[in-house]
Amino acid sequence: MKNTPTPDLVKRIIHWSLLTVTVIYFITGFGISEFRTVEALSFGLLTKSLAFKMHNSLWVPFIVLLVLHIVFALIRKRRKVVPS
Amino acid sequence: MNRLILGAAVLSVISMLAVAISGCGAGSSMDKTEELEPVEIRDYEGEKLSSANDFRENSIEGPQQVEIESYRLEIAGLVENPESYTYDEALDSHQHYQKVVTVNCVEGWSATILWEGLLVRELLEESNPLPDAKVVIFHAYDGYTTSLPLDYIMNNDIIMAYKMNEITLPAERGFPFQLVAESKWGYKWIKWITKIELSEDEDYLGYWESRGYSNTADLDKGFFEK
Repeated sequence: MKNTPTPDLVKRIIHWSLLTVTVIYFITGFGISEFRTVEALSFGLLTKSLAFKMHNSLWVPFIVLLVLHIVFALIRKRRKVVPS
Repeated sequence: MNRLILGAAVLSVISMLAVAISGCGAGSSMDKTEELEPVEIRDYEGEKLSSANDFRENSIEGPQQVEIESYRLEIAGLVENPESYTYDEALDSHQHYQKVVTVNCVEGWSATILWEGLLVRELLEESNPLPDAKVVIFHAYDGYTTSLPLDYIMNNDIIMAYKMNEITLPAERGFPFQLVAESKWGYKWIKWITKIELSEDEDYLGYWESRGYSNTADLDKGFFEK
């Protein structure tokens, strides 16, 4: 079975989105715990309260993207194991 | 031979007496009890306490070193008699209170401590708040501010701590005074208090409150809830 371009594109979007969300999750986490440093490095843009709000609202997309990422990876693996 | 043995015996008795006398002398100089630096307690009436080191340092300007010789605690604003206390005056002229309270930080950690301090209510009563006063604004050495309703201060036993777990507050924990704002989120627990100001401005927002945190800061609500 050949991969159609659409699932490939979806997969790519999911993988890159997950990477982006993970990075933002890390940065906003530091924005809470090390707020003085992060505020200075971001020229006052990422304040502690903004970091909190972003961090608190990111866990749902993070979980969804992570699950989708795992599901797609498993499907890919299965296709490799069971040739059609 | 007998003389030799007798001489040795006399000598040993004399030397033992000398040792005993010198020992007695040393004993009399140790009668005075010297107080050592107190050690933090970790248990109070069966309750486990956190340590003074269990806190995360999250102040806006880092730990402050307050010089106690020049330190003044001001009571100002809408009061009949503004006051200015030195550290010793504040401690010597007021009743001291102890209570175990847990501080809950918005970052997710908490610490249960035996606090010892002065009742803020008693400090304010000495200055006679004017009828227009509605809000108590606390100012800190590092420029941090926060506010609480006057009713909250007057109707609850809110203390300003100078000791935690029976040791004097360390600089990083807010020496000389930290507010023990029980049932409020940690950002209301202002450290390094220098001034208590009474105001009629019910919309006053402190440092974190002006950056989006709840002004009521009730623990049973989210800290972004209005």
